[in-house]
Amino acid sequence: MRDIPYRIAMQEALAEEMARDEKVFVVGEDVQAGTFGVTSTLVQRFGPARVIDTPLSETAVAGTALGAAMAGYRPVADFMFADFIYIAGNEVLVNAAKWRFAHGGKVSLPLVFLAAMGGGARNGPEHSMSPESLIMHTPGLKLAVPSTPYDAKGLLKSAIRDNNPVVFFYHKRLLGLRGDVPEEEYTVPFGVADVKREGTDVTVVATALQVQHALRVADEVKDRVSVEVIDPRTLEPLDIDSIVRSVEKTGRLVVADEDTERCGVGAEIITQVIERAFDSLDAPPKRVCAANLPIPGGFIEASVLPQPASILAAIEAVTGRTLKA
Amino acid sequence: MPLSNEQLKTLYANMVRARRFDEKIVQGIADGKTVSFFHSGLGEEAVGVGGCAFLRPDDFVWYHHRGHGIGHIIAKGGSPREFVAEHFGKATGACNGVAGFHFVDPEHGMLGFSGTIGSAFPVTLGWGVAAKMNNRGQAVVCFFGDGASNRGTLHEAMNMASVMKLPIAWVCENNLYAQFMPLRDAFASEDIANLAIPYGMPSQTVDGQDVVAVHEAVQWAVERARAGEGPSLVECKTYRFRAHSEGAPDVAHFELRPPEEVEEWKRRDPILLFRERLLGEEVATASELDGIDAEAAAEADEAERFAMESPPPDASILSELLYAR
Repeated sequence: MRDIPYRIAMQEALAEEMARDEKVFVVGEDVQAGTFGVTSTLVQRFGPARVIDTPLSETAVAGTALGAAMAGYRPVADFMFADFIYIAGNEVLVNAAKWRFAHGGKVSLPLVFLAAMGGGARNGPEHSMSPESLIMHTPGLKLAVPSTPYDAKGLLKSAIRDNNPVVFFYHKRLLGLRGDVPEEEYTVPFGVADVKREGTDVTVVATALQVQHALRVADEVKDRVSVEVIDPRTLEPLDIDSIVRSVEKTGRLVVADEDTERCGVGAEIITQVIERAFDSLDAPPKRVCAANLPIPGGFIEASVLPQPASILAAIEAVTGRTLKA
Repeated sequence: MPLSNEQLKTLYANMVRARRFDEKIVQGIADGKTVSFFHSGLGEEAVGVGGCAFLRPDDFVWYHHRGHGIGHIIAKGGSPREFVAEHFGKATGACNGVAGFHFVDPEHGMLGFSGTIGSAFPVTLGWGVAAKMNNRGQAVVCFFGDGASNRGTLHEAMNMASVMKLPIAWVCENNLYAQFMPLRDAFASEDIANLAIPYGMPSQTVDGQDVVAVHEAVQWAVERARAGEGPSLVECKTYRFRAHSEGAPDVAHFELRPPEEVEEWKRRDPILLFRERLLGEEVATASELDGIDAEAAAEADEAERFAMESPPPDASILSELLYAR
């Protein structure tokens, strides 16, 4: 086992899949240099015909992926910031999501839309979004939100091999996170949640950076409350069965996610748990999300985005215990 | 190379077939057989038929909104029977009755369609990237209307296609109206072909009622594409004989389209013009052309019967359509 950063784990996934299948290529603005380092070094190995720098046009990036996928390729298109997906909303949410379905299953769209999600870098309202619920809401798109280097590599390899459009959000604040990644080949399947920490008193379902926050909080309070941290890893497909099983054990649920609270990931997961396991709940579930505001830049960013303290407060609320040191 | 007499007769036959099938869908609205809306292409047959005639089966075609592409589809080798069945909402339709009006036939280079105007450009850009990577002389022919030329996607895709020298023939089917909006009030230049200039493309403007002129211009663009010379733009000046969609008012803004304008264009019916030419140049006899007319009518009747006898799709297929395995 090696200890490598999340960013390098993603780079390895791309390089391995490009070497494995000549139909795989990368396209986006400045993917040759790699704005976040995720696609860096690929052009030296695979050349500019398979690592395509486009003009500044998210629509052209998305269209290239969409069209090439229909024509038999397996493109990986990088949007840079997740916020920029909105610019190509028609191509991602309307076309890519619907076209296999709308054409009676006669075309396939094996493509990956990569984008950096998340705040914490004080980049302001148009470079800090985590639009997971937008993607989750749209039938026809799969969604991966890895929280560790191991998952980032394994999920990206699965995403590239999937015969459907996959949105893959890598979190900006996780790119430097180091973690164990095996030398040997592996993939992480979609729709299989991972119990990142076992516990018995409360279930915290978390995505991306919030998984790391939840693990830190769980460790801090471990002498007073036993927290189970579940990472769904993919939000579509969603492994609701594993979440329900955990809630049946703990009786308490917190969902921590960085997207806006209203109509968000937490709302969806909590609703599904209530529908499936209402009688198992010993307390009302809690959401930990971004406030229903645009994400501000500068020092006040933290007042809108969920923090470890927000997760702690939610655990206190659902357990009725005072946990602050 | 001048077209042979057989090829000229094929152009005639395909225009007549396109018209009979278009009329079937129009009549189907009145009869309650056509389940969705319909945007008749009567009067514009020369563009789709001339533009798609004698392409290679593996050339990609993005057909056009007018007539829902019936002329393009027929000329490219698609099944008009599946076209009718799709419009009648039947399981035997091109998209298994799921789309209502889209057509798909990957074997004949028709990978799909969109209901959002301007989607044509980014996706065909992607087909162009795929065609270039395939490196076997494939061309992409993208038909779009004067209305679509108002979209920013045109700029983004045309710019990147020119930068990458992609094998794309952009073909504007300019019928002077986008729904109720006259081109003169929506487009800042006299000719859509002028859009070639900023992207460093050559262009041709042709009489869209002359099927041979359309064919020759599109063929010129396709030959350039095959030779690796990059994209070109062809503007075909044409006119729709019917309203924007069946049941919609036939207006420019809110007033009726000028009757003298409509009459003037109807005198330039592409089928009548071409019939006179074939007879005048003694390419075919009147009885030969009458025979073609009768065959087309019988083919459309047969397709209508086939569609009416076909079952609607079963809703059980829907969950299977969302994702490919």
